[in-house]
Amino acid sequence: MLGASFDDAAANKKFADEQGYTYPLLCDTDRKLGLAYKACDSASDSWPRRVTYVIGKDGKIEQAIHTQDVAGQAAALLAKS
Amino acid sequence: MSILKRVAEMMGMKQLPPLLPVGSQAPDFDVPDHLGRRVRLADLRGKRVVLWFYPKASTPG
Repeated sequence: MLGASFDDAAANKKFADEQGYTYPLLCDTDRKLGLAYKACDSASDSWPRRVTYVIGKDGKIEQAIHTQDVAGQAAALLAKS
Repeated sequence: MSILKRVAEMMGMKQLPPLLPVGSQAPDFDVPDHLGRRVRLADLRGKRVVLWFYPKASTPG
């Protein structure tokens, strides 16, 4: 599991500590990850869209979802896994 | 045009742009995490990875 946002390490560390996340939160401050995964349209975007990918063991995209209902989405993904 | 699409348009919902296609190779990345560690997709080969983008740290949802 990897989270990703355009926040810096300090903001994401605070977020991880608050939420008890034990997995990496990626600090995509230059938006390269967001652009590569179509979560944003420009390197000057303030934040990425809520997008979730499942990447298979072979490195191929298994699922690509615009996340609307965050809690429901997580449950659906787990049910499929 | 599907009924769902028409309803979405009537409600003023924006069409979301397409994502990377299912079955395509996930672009490799090398990005620092919140603890300053480098995270490379290539290093995770052989594991299933869920990558979720969120707009802003410490915001609801």
